[in-house]
Amino acid sequence: MITRRALLANGAKVAVGTVYGGTLVGFLTGCGSSDDAETPIVEVIPGGLMVVNPILCVGCRRCEIACSWSHGKSAVSPSTSRIKVAKNLNFGPHGVQPNYQDQRGEQGDSTIVPSTCRQCDVCMTVCPQKAITVNEETGARVVNDDLCVGCGYCADKCPQQVITIDKTTRKSLKCDLCEGSPNCAQVCPTGAIKFYTWEDAVAEVELHEKYLELV
Amino acid sequence: MTTTYGGWAGYILRVNLTTKVITKETTETYHDYIGGMGIGYKVLWDDHVDGIKATDAENQLVISAGPLSGSGAICSARTTITSRNPVIRNHLITDGHFGGHFSPELKFAGYDAIIIEGKSETPVWLKIVDDTVTLEPADSLWGVGIFDTFASISKLMGQQAQIAAIGPSGEHLVAQSTIQTQGGHSAGGHGAVLGSKKLKAIGIIGTGTVDIAESTTNEQLRELDDHILGIIGANNNGVVPNQPQSWAEYSSTGSRWRGGPGVTWGAADNPVDVGETPWDDRQKVGMRTSMAEMYFGRDEANKIFKRPGGCHSCPIRCFCEVKNPKMKTEYNLPTENITNVCLGFLDPWYAMGKPSSGEKRTDIQTVGAYYMDDNGIWSAYGQLSHLMREFTARGFWEIILPAEEYAAINWAQYADLDAHFMQDFYTRIAYSEDYPGSNILGRCLGRGLHEFINEDGELYNVEDILNEVESPRMAELTFELESDANYDLVGKTYSVFLDKNMKVFNRSMVGGVHHASESAGQVGALLNTVFNRDPQCHSHINLINCGLPHAKIAEVAASLWGEGAFDPVQHYTAMNTSKAKFAKWCLVKNVLHDSLTLCNWMFPLVVSPDANRDYIGDSSIEAQMFSLVTGIETSEAELDAMAESVLQLHRALTVLQMNEIDQRNKHDVLSEWVYDLDHDKNFGDEGTIKMDRDDIQIGLDMFYAEMGWDKDTGVPTRATLEKFKLGYVADKLESLALLPA
Ligand code: SF4
Ligand code: SF4
Repeated sequence: MITRRALLANGAKVAVGTVYGGTLVGFLTGCGSSDDAETPIVEVIPGGLMVVNPILCVGCRRCEIACSWSHGKSAVSPSTSRIKVAKNLNFGPHGVQPNYQDQRGEQGDSTIVPSTCRQCDVCMTVCPQKAITVNEETGARVVNDDLCVGCGYCADKCPQQVITIDKTTRKSLKCDLCEGSPNCAQVCPTGAIKFYTWEDAVAEVELHEKYLELV
Repeated sequence: MTTTYGGWAGYILRVNLTTKVITKETTETYHDYIGGMGIGYKVLWDDHVDGIKATDAENQLVISAGPLSGSGAICSARTTITSRNPVIRNHLITDGHFGGHFSPELKFAGYDAIIIEGKSETPVWLKIVDDTVTLEPADSLWGVGIFDTFASISKLMGQQAQIAAIGPSGEHLVAQSTIQTQGGHSAGGHGAVLGSKKLKAIGIIGTGTVDIAESTTNEQLRELDDHILGIIGANNNGVVPNQPQSWAEYSSTGSRWRGGPGVTWGAADNPVDVGETPWDDRQKVGMRTSMAEMYFGRDEANKIFKRPGGCHSCPIRCFCEVKNPKMKTEYNLPTENITNVCLGFLDPWYAMGKPSSGEKRTDIQTVGAYYMDDNGIWSAYGQLSHLMREFTARGFWEIILPAEEYAAINWAQYADLDAHFMQDFYTRIAYSEDYPGSNILGRCLGRGLHEFINEDGELYNVEDILNEVESPRMAELTFELESDANYDLVGKTYSVFLDKNMKVFNRSMVGGVHHASESAGQVGALLNTVFNRDPQCHSHINLINCGLPHAKIAEVAASLWGEGAFDPVQHYTAMNTSKAKFAKWCLVKNVLHDSLTLCNWMFPLVVSPDANRDYIGDSSIEAQMFSLVTGIETSEAELDAMAESVLQLHRALTVLQMNEIDQRNKHDVLSEWVYDLDHDKNFGDEGTIKMDRDDIQIGLDMFYAEMGWDKDTGVPTRATLEKFKLGYVADKLESLALLPA
């Protein structure tokens, strides 16, 4: 069992195909992280996740746009984008606080903290239709439109709040890692959003987590 | 009815504040006018009322997006605001613009524009959540600064709301006031219009989409995006770096491609060393501009610059997000962060007399920017600060202000370059008559210079004007500075048209200079004559300040408009038709961008950083974007013709509002200093930007000919108006004897 602390201290890497404790996976994916030894052991599959470095993010929302452009019909909207910049843009991840000037966001300390899908298992687990499964090649949890009925359980339960139900098609919209070549990363003008393999994600996720907290 | 095209949202909201009735109409009526500014000018033409003031209930204000806003097209998030403007003589129409994320949100909510008319009895704000549009009471927001207004409305609506608001200055009907949106983006001159209507803010949440034409594929959008990234430069389309970089053939200190070795986002939590920014590194495009050093000097910028910022969909990021901890510790502000660009930082610095770089300047600019933005004050492209600075340098305030008021102003702070001065300074302007005491200073600065001068630019007794005395006395100010001696002015009556430091360029509109003869000789001078405020035009600047060697720029200019279109800066040759064509092109592209709504501080892209393309850009990108997004295959020439139609309408509306056919002598007139400066030099000498009176008249002849305007009056002829499907405009002008024979 590797705890998050041990992993960071030893600079240990996570190898694809290895079985690891839930602590690390919980940390990386942002769901159910705890030092509880009862946490089930999870196998790390190939692929990884998109993470934004809030220090480099300049709030242009080009990632959001490219996401809209590259999925389905080209209707641009923060609602149909699988990466969420707009919702944290002005006042940070916690919305308007009495000390908003000290919080994140354009009206705060000007740090933009976009939310990305961490490819955890939550949406997959809660979906009553079994419409979300793992793409074994990319590791992305992907929605099967034929099975999805738009009930919204996945959106409700997503710890990153990055799933939306498309208003017109009534299908769940979630990050599918663009079949292994994420468009958001290609258009980011500062390299703020990148695809990280599980091995490389630790430091980036830790930095991102820091910016998700209340200041 | 929904539109079958991509791009346009399909609907326009009409909000009547008197009756509280909100209606929806189709955007299709306005398709010939593109969007943005085109919608604004068409609405104001259709509903024209003679002789009204900007702050009258009959005046309309149009907030509009274009077909590209929200589509994701690069730099397409501008918002145009069109209305009569109280800062302009006769309160003529102007269009102001802000960036940010407002117009995309408007589109996501399903609207291309909002027309605001009438006048509410009590303060209200407009709440738009997709189809649900309501007027909400704003009594508790009245008197609140812009930043807290944003927070309060976001708290009510949800933080994803995009909000535009006025500050105390708009509420107090201060002519030099803004409408602002989050992140320091402000549009100049119309805050008082909303203030007069008692409309404090507009908040929008849009959960819908901006649809792209069905015929367009995702790959086409990405391809065009990539094509643009291959030829776009830094802000103002600087296409060579400001300092030498290993990959670059050229460098130019004039370029806004500031990001490079030695530039650090030093206030970031982990400072970012920008390093080299090769033109083809797509993931460094957003670091190229890093413009803080332009406003603060490199040493200061490297300490306080956190990151660049800007609008939806823009990779260039011209805004400077800065962190100056002293804002909190020493100046008692609730924040240590401020974001702005250009005059947002420069106006406070100009007002204080332009101290050189250092901490004092940083404090003035950051603290000043905070007060300007929180109060919603407009600099009128520096006119506010030029007036403050020049009148202080000339000792005029001591003469103009009542002794008690003069004594109450902390001039020692001003002389010490102490940024604490900013608080009282901008509060006086924003609160106008509600500021304790006579407050002649604040009321004068906020009112607009045109109110205080006679036909010759000489000052009236300011108090008489403010007290609306029927025949005001003159202020009896004279030129007395040593520097005035060079111009034989000492002892003569002071006139703002003779004072080159006041920078009044278009004397009939009393508009500030903005990239006029100092940038592009007669080209800049001519395009500074047409609009009713500073022309907000960067079409020419994006070429001539690109940083390429003059020979290359001249070659590009010659290929587009003919030989001799562009002279070396400060070494001008006589007027020629190539220059007239260049000036017209600048305006058409400007109007095109304000209609699409695309950033004219970046586009058009006629040059590029790509040596393999011989540094040539692509001026047809706007048409490519328009075609892909709307699905209406449109060439550059066709799209330009649509923009020119809007430009013709703009001119016609000015004629109508002024009720004046003689635009040549009553509108397109430059200040004396433009011709008289540099007394030891003649027009055409190297090292002067001075213009020549006869040559400018020839310039007007040639320019009018290009525009299809009557030579004597500068008014569009019937033939011209009909060519642009504006026959109804010709009919109306003719019925009022305002159409040239
Ligand atoms: S979208 Fe699904 S996989 Fe992604 S973070 Fe949310 S719950 Fe986890
Ligand atoms: S494209 Fe990059 S810089 Fe722009 S909002 Fe997305 S992550 Fe931030």
